Amino acid sequence: MVRPSLHNLVPYAFFVVLVGSAGLWVDNPYYFQILSMIGIHALLALALNLLMGYAGQISLGHAAFYGIGAYASALLSARYGLSPWLALPCAMLAAGLVALVVGYPTLKLSGYYLGMGTLGIGMIVFIVFREWSSVTGGASGFVGIPPLGLGGRALLDVRSYYFLVWAVVLLALCGSQRLIRSRVGRALRSIHDSEAAARAVGIPTSRLKLQVFVLSAVMSAVAGFLYAHMVGFISPDTFSFIVSVKLVTMVVIGGMASIWGALLGAALLTLLPEVLHAFAEFEMVVYGLILMTVMIFLPQGLTRGILDIYALRRRQSERAARPAD
Amino acid sequence: MRFADDNPNGPPARPTDSPGGPLLRLEGVSKTFGGVQALKDISFEVPSGTVMGLIGPNGAGKTTLFNLISGIFAPDGGRILYGGTDIGGRPTHRLVADGIARTFQNVELFESLTAAENVMVGQYVRTRCGFWGAWLRGPGARREERDSQAAAAEWLRFVGLAGEARTPSGELPFGWQRLLEIARALASRPRLLLLDEPAAGLNAVETEQLGRLILEIRGRGITILLVEHDMSLTMEVCDRIVVLDRGEKLAEGTPREIQTNVDVLSAYLGPDVGAPSRQQAR
Ligand SMILES: Nc1ncnc2c1ncn2[C@@H]1O[C@H](COP(=O)(O)OP(=O)(O)OP(=O)(O)O)[C@@H](O)[C@H]1O
Ligand SMILES: [Mg+2]
Repeated sequence: MVRPSLHNLVPYAFFVVLVGSAGLWVDNPYYFQILSMIGIHALLALALNLLMGYAGQISLGHAAFYGIGAYASALLSARYGLSPWLALPCAMLAAGLVALVVGYPTLKLSGYYLGMGTLGIGMIVFIVFREWSSVTGGASGFVGIPPLGLGGRALLDVRSYYFLVWAVVLLALCGSQRLIRSRVGRALRSIHDSEAAARAVGIPTSRLKLQVFVLSAVMSAVAGFLYAHMVGFISPDTFSFIVSVKLVTMVVIGGMASIWGALLGAALLTLLPEVLHAFAEFEMVVYGLILMTVMIFLPQGLTRGILDIYALRRRQSERAARPAD
Repeated sequence: MRFADDNPNGPPARPTDSPGGPLLRLEGVSKTFGGVQALKDISFEVPSGTVMGLIGPNGAGKTTLFNLISGIFAPDGGRILYGGTDIGGRPTHRLVADGIARTFQNVELFESLTAAENVMVGQYVRTRCGFWGAWLRGPGARREERDSQAAAAEWLRFVGLAGEARTPSGELPFGWQRLLEIARALASRPRLLLLDEPAAGLNAVETEQLGRLILEIRGRGITILLVEHDMSLTMEVCDRIVVLDRGEKLAEGTPREIQTNVDVLSAYLGPDVGAPSRQQAR
């Protein structure tokens, strides 16, 4: 577990090759936009997965933190002329603070209070985006968000932006994996299994849940930042309740507590609407159906379901190979 | 056993208090749930380095007493002194850090974690690596993780589960789950270990092994409070026994005294039973 064995590096190598070759071969700006969108969704799914899959806490308003990241960065850079790279930490801070305020009272209790709290904050933030027109541009949206540049050089083209997004995803992947395989990660997983027992073996469960919730919100804000400066225009609908549900669906499809699964879930749910054009009108219904189907037939999600079968096989053969004791 | 005394993740070499003094002292402890008086004016002392038995019929309040000592509930009245200081109202995770560990009557393992990981979670209060440490994974964090793994392996070996490190704890046979729970509790390097019916669900052979394990734990200087319905085990390993009945302390004494105590016999077997039964007084 400590030494990064070959076994652990294979998925990363695969990831880098896939992202790299796609970035070099693709030549169509529209495809780049979709691929970057998958990356942004992957970042969100990873963030939510830390909270849902590992700590076992549900958030029904994660789009709010995504939105806070986007709007904060848009406001600071477009209206106040701040460099987007300086706006980013401010946006992360804003999302983290909101998460702290929502999480502090709700995470002291075990159960679904965080779900309720985040549902509420999702609604409130959405209404603020829509109604506070003088600041946010209201329902018609916020225009004129400056694109990103690197080191004062030329602005990033679609290809470089794609690489930027996926570099951030890679960072988030490594970070999540390191976290999960650490003392803190084990403690989070133990909270998921039995909060009472976790507390009884000495884990300060409320504090840990709050920390991971804030972390998850901050990661989502980074996704919001990447989104806002990629498209240059944001509107409240991008951060509505249905988007929160979509994020939950991504995590569930990919498999809770599966880092690579989050990527798969993000890719599937980003591509699906592009492929199925009838999708748009029935979005909510489709997510509902997907959620139900996965919960019933593959409660561990796609990747996890397959991995579990693999792990079970391996253990069985190990057992068979070991002399009976 | 194979622990070096200077292993930072190993058990404490010696209890830090004066030998023979009470590690735990209850003074008139009471607890009510709604209308139910689960514990009423309970007082006794647990001398350092001993195994103290806590017996009594179902619903006597044994588990409730554990929940008070481990900080899950606060007592309504009375004081709980641990190492001389009142611990009433101290949160559970602080108490674990202070050296009070426990197991549960209904095994409470982290089922999706492996046996070794369960024990490593048990070391939470003795390790430090936080979010930043996990991300940066510097030499300190790596060393801690390595030590933690080594200590987990040693604790598993100590309870006899050396071969099961990588098995998900939920897949272990029930008796082994009980042992794993003890290993997880020991991993926090407690001075006081609360065992809630560790023999429940074990067969005769396993119960005998458990008895030896309990004595070995005591041999490391860890004080034990043992709730158990298996009388032969209790009589064998306990230095002293406290008997609870319907929330009240009925008797206290050495195993021999308890076995011949008329109040105890009538509490267990009904008031008309005269002949002392040595073995299963359930
Ligand atoms: N959390 C609780 N809420 C309400 N009542 C409780 C609670 N915990 C215990 N009680 C009550 O307190 C009394 C003592 O229960 P406790 O579990 O301590 O008994 P016990 O001695 O451990 O019994 P057993 O041998 O069956 O485990 C019972 O009447 C029980 O119903
Ligand atoms: Mg009990």
